[in-house]
Formats: sequence, structure tokens, C-alpha cells
Amino acid sequence: MKDQIVHFATGHPKKIMWLTLVLTLIAGAMIPRIHIDTDPENMLPPDQRDRVIRDRIKEQFNLYDLIVVGIVNDQTDTGIFNHQSLANLKSLSDQIEAIEGVIDHELMSLASVDNITQESPGTIRFQWMIPDNRDEQLPPAELEQATNRLPMFKNTLVSEDGKAAAIYVPIEKKELSHEIAQKIQSIIDQLPPGDEYHITGLPVAEDTFGIEMFIQMAISAPMAAVAIFLLMWIFFRSFALITAPMLVAMATVIITMGALIGMGYTVHIMSSMIPIFLMPIAVVDSVHILSEFAELHKPGDRVKDTIEKVIQNLFRPMLFTSITSAVGFASLAFTPIPPVQIFGLFVAFGIVLAFLFTIVFVPAYIAMLSEDRIQLLAKKHHTDSAVALDGFLNRFRRVAIGNAKVTVTIALVLSVFSYVGIKKIEINDNPVRWFKEDHRIRVADRVLNSHFAGTYDAYLVFRKDTSAMQQQILSELHQAAAESEVAKSILSASLNGRTDFNKQISRLIQSADDAAFEAESPSDVVALENLIATAEQAQTELKYFMQPEALSYMEALQQHLLEGTLVGKSNSIVDLVKTVYRELQGGDKTFYRIPDNSNQTAQTILSYQSSHRPYDLWHFVTPDYQNAALWLQLKSGDNKDMSIVVEQVEQYISGHPLPAGLSVQWGGLTYINVVWQEAMVKGMLNSLFGAFVMVFVVMVLLFRSLLYGVLAMIPLSLTIALIYGLIGWISKDYDMPVAVLSSLTLGLSVDFAIHFLDRARAIHEDTGSWTTTMNLMFGEPGIAILRNAIVIAIGFLPLLAAPLVPYNTVGIFLASIMATSCVVTLLLLPAIMSLIQGILFPEKTRSAK
Amino acid sequence: MKSVTNALSVLLVGLFTSSACLVASAETITADQIVQRANHVAFYQGQDGRAETRMKIIDGSGREQLRQFTILRKNVTDGGDQQFFVFFQRPSDVKRTAFLVKKHIDRDDDRWLYLPSLDLVKRISAGDKRTSFVGSDFYYEDVSGRSLKADKHTLTETTESHYIIDNYPVDPDGVEFKHYKVWVNKATYLPEKTEYFDDQENLYRSIEALDQQEIDGYITVTKMKVTDHRTGGYTLSEIRFIKYNIGIDDDVFSERSLRTPPQEWLKRPTNKT
Repeated sequence: MKDQIVHFATGHPKKIMWLTLVLTLIAGAMIPRIHIDTDPENMLPPDQRDRVIRDRIKEQFNLYDLIVVGIVNDQTDTGIFNHQSLANLKSLSDQIEAIEGVIDHELMSLASVDNITQESPGTIRFQWMIPDNRDEQLPPAELEQATNRLPMFKNTLVSEDGKAAAIYVPIEKKELSHEIAQKIQSIIDQLPPGDEYHITGLPVAEDTFGIEMFIQMAISAPMAAVAIFLLMWIFFRSFALITAPMLVAMATVIITMGALIGMGYTVHIMSSMIPIFLMPIAVVDSVHILSEFAELHKPGDRVKDTIEKVIQNLFRPMLFTSITSAVGFASLAFTPIPPVQIFGLFVAFGIVLAFLFTIVFVPAYIAMLSEDRIQLLAKKHHTDSAVALDGFLNRFRRVAIGNAKVTVTIALVLSVFSYVGIKKIEINDNPVRWFKEDHRIRVADRVLNSHFAGTYDAYLVFRKDTSAMQQQILSELHQAAAESEVAKSILSASLNGRTDFNKQISRLIQSADDAAFEAESPSDVVALENLIATAEQAQTELKYFMQPEALSYMEALQQHLLEGTLVGKSNSIVDLVKTVYRELQGGDKTFYRIPDNSNQTAQTILSYQSSHRPYDLWHFVTPDYQNAALWLQLKSGDNKDMSIVVEQVEQYISGHPLPAGLSVQWGGLTYINVVWQEAMVKGMLNSLFGAFVMVFVVMVLLFRSLLYGVLAMIPLSLTIALIYGLIGWISKDYDMPVAVLSSLTLGLSVDFAIHFLDRARAIHEDTGSWTTTMNLMFGEPGIAILRNAIVIAIGFLPLLAAPLVPYNTVGIFLASIMATSCVVTLLLLPAIMSLIQGILFPEKTRSAK
Repeated sequence: MKSVTNALSVLLVGLFTSSACLVASAETITADQIVQRANHVAFYQGQDGRAETRMKIIDGSGREQLRQFTILRKNVTDGGDQQFFVFFQRPSDVKRTAFLVKKHIDRDDDRWLYLPSLDLVKRISAGDKRTSFVGSDFYYEDVSGRSLKADKHTLTETTESHYIIDNYPVDPDGVEFKHYKVWVNKATYLPEKTEYFDDQENLYRSIEALDQQEIDGYITVTKMKVTDHRTGGYTLSEIRFIKYNIGIDDDVFSERSLRTPPQEWLKRPTNKT
């Protein structure tokens, strides 16, 4: 059948051209509908458990995505506490509040919060920290003292060293962050000079990343295409001829991306790299065809005959390599991370597409070329680069076959070396680190984290399960109402299983209160008052996070976390209550403590609620006081550091069991990053393992030989081991791009082995001689492998110039994968084969000669 | 006028005269006169009075908190100084918490807070009165009143039923609003609605009288709502057991009452007697 396809292609080249063009145009028309998604949260499906919890926490505690603006003054001894810097801070803070999309009343800065002070003995004062009226503003030195007294603000709104202040800008939607950040920048540009400003925060990082990613798609991928084109020109010296693989690559990339976008998928950081992954794969097969064609085509031959012969020779290895590469990528569908699944499936689709184009489009294209140009090509091929490569390749052959045992031994030593390296691999990621060191976001991140307790946030949420209490309360209520019909009917009317229990109790108290006023009989009044007292007692008990027991537990945990190095600061209702309590008691530091009982706490909180921002309380506790959030400020957004903090909390809890009914949950973006990373690592390992098995099975089936199957797997196993071993040894973090590249390694490094083994077997069948086979193998087939390795490796070096680290990683990796698997295939495979040639090419084949 | 904000006081204290019928002819009345009269209707009806308020504070997600307290009020001079005593009943963990406010026309008010479980009497600094009243959407200033001299009043529109007064602060630095509009009922002079606008002219806060009754001959707001359009939350006040001209003693409004509440006046008036 393949012959018919090729025959049709060479017979109707124009139809093939048109068909390709139309398909490409249709798919290309979809591309303008592109929708970029850089939200790391979307690494998890929307219904993933931790993500649902995080969303609930955000809603429960009115938390928003934050842009962080830092103002730094290193010039003066007093840092930020000078008239001009404070005026700048005030002006900036006020103007940011007016930006569309900023949740103005939730903005946090020294200029938007209250100061709690002792105005004179016995007098407490809530006053804006920096009032609008200049006459009422505190002198800078006094303002510094005031902020130092308020633990909630110190190291959050103002740095410990007084050199920096921060503005936390809550925004309505993450998508607005780039636009808002730009507006903030233009406000900053209008401010008097003297202070240094930084804008950061995860939403800004994500949005900026999206924009730069877009630019990279428009720059890096075409640059890679140009580089590949130039390299192929060096090898083949015929623009006409090498245009074919370029067209295949372009059509493949455009149709694949068009399909992805047209089907409504967002372009995530991973899928933005699809063109970069597909291009080498699409080009590889064509390079084999061109090499073989140039080799076989002799003056006087009919082009159609030659090309049909070429496809005849290469069809099997090309089909095998395409299937295995596609399997490698498709296996990513088994990871639990939607963007990675989409990436894997569409790359697999692209690979199959590229294969079809290669066996249909390339022959059709060559068939259209004039005989003269082709003759020219053949002549050049035999004189130019091939000669140089030949000499080089022969050295490989001599090493591999002449020192087969040494080669195999070295490979074994390298395996051990890699194994040790793999053991050293550290799994870690941090979206801010997707930018290079000198990117302004990285700079802002570094500067602000050096001044403040940390700009990465995580939330530990405490939840009190009150169901046991509820049962107890219900029975007490029934008992209290037992003596009076009025009380009983009030009770049963107020209790309604469907509404929130706290609300039921509240309704009960109101109705009982009204009923007691109306009641005629003294016994009813007594019963109703009894009922009210019981219900009020219950109400107080249900407010769990007013109880000293709960507050003390949180306080001790906070203290414990602070003793470690990773948590710069933690904030909770405990800090708030302690501060206000101290101020109520006259401001002496000995009163900086948890009040003795829940009524004292309730009255302390009531006092706090008489400020300008009573709603800040609900960032730390829910209005029913049954959920409390501990806001951790981390200096590092590295997933490994977050994991350590999670572990610290777990250890603390196992040493200090949570009070009955209390449970904890994690939230916050830094934590979510850990969750998807863990899912990814596990998913990648599974998919890599699955793909490995599937590729092996495919190999055995295709070669119809277990032995050949095993042989084919050796170069890729060693390549993967070496690459990941190296990552361990140079302590590069195992992050998202590195994880995804494992499947690329699998797909690409098996290619060379397939070509090598299939061709070797075919040639041996023809010649019957091991030595001849190897001599021939290190001719054209070897050259094709080497060319491919060089084209891809060098072609992707432009990625190193990208300002985004994941792109650099991919560039370096592609180069290393190509180089390693090429060398391993050309050295280790012949070495092993020469050692076991008796088994590989048994009597049957030899006698057939 | 104490502006609409004071409408809160109206609600809380609920003192209204029916003097509305004595109104001067509508054509000649000035903004200042309207404001003056509305202020009187909202804050100064009767010599004194008591009311019980149930406040439901609902946040943007619909979560509810409840506050229940009794307010006693006595005029020192008609249209001038006043005294308020606010005594909390619920929730029970803040029971017996009390506020004492001595409102002065010519100087800053005096305010005290008593926290029973801490057995603390604190003076609250004059400072800014536009802070939350016990976590609700009402401001302290809504309770004790905003000086008529603090704003410039303009009558911008007269509808069939209302005068609409626009008010701009004399000192814009001291307040969070750019201006606010008050809808004063032409017949009763009750300020029925107030809307606050920020520097971008966005409506961010409003106060509405939802229900009114005539009590002891005075038009009185019995249900009131303050909405914070930024947070999406609101506070609903129901004012009940209102009584005017009950002859409250002056010494009820003393620091001593904070610790020893004047039970006699706080007690709910019964229909039975």
C-alpha cells in the first residue's frame, strides 16, 4: 500500500501541494483565536481537591490575588521614614486605589491602615496611620515607632530595617494584573525621584510571562527554523531540495497549533513549545529521505524511480520512529496535569501528521523538481560535506567495533555514574524562577524578600468540626425547654436542619426573647429565659476561635514556625487580638498576650471592629469563629521550601496533637505549586515508565524479535539515564520543563537506534557480511543520523537567547539529547552488536547468501 | 444638618416630631433651612427617648453577625448638645459592654467605652468619627451626628416628594467621601436616603430608611439599612420598643453608669402597665 501512496504522490504532485496548502490555510485561520493561559494553578484540573480547597479558602477569608509594590530608600539613615518618601508612599497608595480593577478598600499600605495608640492614659485612639490632613500626620520618626509597635504591620507593610515599605494591591481578576502593573508604573514615573520602586507578585509574574511567552513563540520558533534551514543548506547545498523539509515542518506546526486553538484549548506554557518540539521531529525524517535520495540518485536515473526506492528503504524505520515518538508523547496523557496532557496529545498528533507529509508531500515535491537541479544536488552531495562526515564516522566505527568490550564497559560505568546522579536529583520549581536572574521581576523578588519577611504566601487554615458539640447543645436546649409548651414550640420552630446551625441558634434566641416579652405565665417566662441562657452559652462555645485553647495552639505553632528559617513571619487572629488587648490595657508589653477567657477576647475584638477597617478581621477568622487562617510569609517560593514547611507543621502536629475536632488544611499559591508539582513528578514517572514499556513492545513487534527490541531500547535508556544523571550531578532542579523533556528524550533517542538497527539488518540481509554491513552502515545511514543530530542540536541553540528559563532548558536539552543519543547509538550499538553478532545474524541468514 | 448620616441616629434613637406640618412654604425654603429641620427631625425629637436596636451585619458572602443593644438619649439643649448611652445585650460574650457619648456642638464629642470582662473604662479619642460602629456598616458619626457646619449644602432638586440636598465637606481631608446626597421627605422632613460618592464619583455607600411609624406623636424610622457597595455587605437595623419623653435622669449619662448600668431605664417598657 505504501508503494501506491508514494506512486500516487509522485504522479500527482500538484494535487498534493494544493491539498497541503488548503489544509494549512484552514488550520492557520484558527490561530488568531489564540488564548494564552499562564496561570500555574491551571496545572491542576479545576475540580482537583487542593484547588477546590484553595478557592474555598479564598472565598471564606476574602482573599484576593495581590500585586506587591515595594518602595525602597537606601539613601538616608532613616530609610523610608523621611517626609518625601512617606509623601510618595501616600500619594502612590492613594492613586493606586483609584485604578480600575483594584479592590480599593482592601488595599494594604501604611497609608491605608489604622494606627492604634494610647493618646493619653486611659484613652485609646484609632486613627489613619498617615491621615490626609498634613497637620495630623505624625513626624516620620514617630511613625516609625508606631509601626514598630504593631506586629501586624512590621515586616509586612514596613521592613524590619525601615528601608522599605510595601503596598499590597488586591485585584479583581488576575488577567488585569499586567495592565494594572503598567498603570502603577506610570504613577511611579510621575513621583519625585529619590526612592526605588519594585512591582512583583505572582499575578504580575504570570501575566508578564504570558506576554513574553507570546513574543518567544514569535521569535524563538522562527529562529530555530532559520538555523535548521541554514544547517541543512550546508549539508545539501540545494535550497530547492531543503525547502521540502521546511515546508513539512511549517505545515505540521501550523496545522497542529491551528487544531489545538480551533478546538478551544488555551495555549499554556507547555503548549507554546509545541512548535519547537515538532520542528525537529518533522525535519528528521525528511533529512533521512534527502540523504538517501542524494546517495542513490545517479545521473540518468528517473527521479520517480529513485524516490520510490528511497521510500521503500526508509518506510519501515520512519514508520517505527514516528510511532514510538508519538507513543512517547501520547503517554503524557496519563499525567494528571491538563496542560501537559494537551501538550502530549497534540505533539503526538503532529508527529503522525509529519510522517504522512514526509511520505506524501516530500516525494511529490521532489518529483516536481527539474532533473537538472537534482543532478546538481547529487553531484554536490558526493563531493562536499559527506566526505568530511565520512572520515569522522569511520573513527566511530573503529572505536566501537575495534574496542567493543571497552566501549561496553565504559557504558556500564556511565550507567552507574548516572544512577548516582539521578539519586541526587532535587525536585523543585518556582514560577518566578522561570524568569532569568536579571529580569526586573526577579530583581524585585530578590530586593523585596531581602527587606521583608517574605512575599510568598501560604495559608494554613484551621477548621473546627462542631457536629459533636451541636448534638450536645441540642439535647441541652430540649432539656431547657421541657417544662413549657411555649418554649418547646419556639424551639422546634427555630431549629431547621437546613440552615446553618449558628443561624438557627441566633434565630432561637431572637424568637425566645420576643416570646418571653409576650409570655403571660411565669413558668413560660422562666423556661424561655432558661432556653435563652442555654442558647447563649452554646453560642459562646461555638465561637471556637475566641477560646484561649484554640488561640494558644495557634500561637505556639506560629512560634515554632518562626524558629525555622523558611517562615519569615506569620499573621493570625492571635496577633491581632494580642495587639488590641495590649493597647486596651494601656500599651505595656506585658499585656501582649492572649486574654484569659473568650468574653475578654470577644470584647477585645469588638473594640478592634470600631476601626476604619473592621473587615480585615475576616481575613483571619470566619464570622462564626469556627475557621481561622494562619497567613505565612515565606521568603522563598521554591516548592521544596514550601514542602519543608508543610512537613514542619505535620511534625509539630504529631508532637502536639490538635485539640479535639480541629483539623488543618493548606492553601495559598505557593502551596498549590507544590501540589501540581508532586502530581507532575509522579505522573511523569508513570508516563515515562508506561511509554518505555509501550515503546519496547512496539519495538519487539516491529522487529519481530525480542533481541532487537532490547537492543533498540539500550541507547535511549542510556541517554535518559545520562541526561538525568547529569541533572543530578550539576544540581539543576527537576522542574516542569525537565520533567516533560523525559518523553522527548524517549521519543527522539529511540529514532536513531531504529534507523541503525533496521538498516543494519536490511543491509546484512543483502550482503550477508558483518564487516560489510558495518562499513556500509557508517556510510549513508550513519551520515543521516549524524546530520540529524547536528541539525537539531544546533538548530535549537537560539532558544538559549530567550529571556525565559524554560525555553533555555529546552534548548540545552535538545542539544544534549541529540548529541548523547547519536553518540550512544553510533558507538554502543555497533559495539554490542559486534559482541553478539553470532546471535544477531544466525546461520540462516548467512547461509541464505 | 447632621446630614443624612445622622439618619442613623434617627434610626437608633428614632425621635421625630410631627412638626413637619408647620413647614414654611416650599418655594422659599433654603438648603440650610431644610438641613436644619431634617437634622431636628432625625436627632432631636422629644426631650429624651429610648429604643432597642437589633443589628444584622451581613457581609459580602451573606454571613451574618448580630448585635442587640439599647440606646438612651437625652437632649441637653434643643438642636444642640446631646447625650447617648448605648448598652449591649447580645451577643452574650459582649453583654454589658457600653458606650457613653456626650455630643457637643462647639467642640469634639466625649466618648467612653466600657468592657465588662476586662473591667475597663476607656476614653475613645475624639479623632476620626468615620470609623465602624462595632463592626457594622454604620459609622460612629452616623450614631452621634455630623456637624451641620462640616459641609456646604445645596438644594439640587425638588421632586414631588423630596428635597435632594447635595453636601460637600468643608475639609475634604477629614472624610472619605467627595460628597453625599440626601433625600429629605418634603412632608415629614425625614432624611429618607443618603448616598455617598468617592473621588471617582462612584456610589460606594448608602443609607436608607426602610420603614417608619408614628410613635408618641413623632415620625420615627423603625427599619434602616446601610449598604457598603464596595464590600457588598450591609447592615440592617430594626428599632423597637421606642418611647419618647420618659424623663431620663441626667446622671444616667455618667461614667459611673458604664460600670453600673441604669437598669431602670434599660428595662423594656411593658404594654401591661
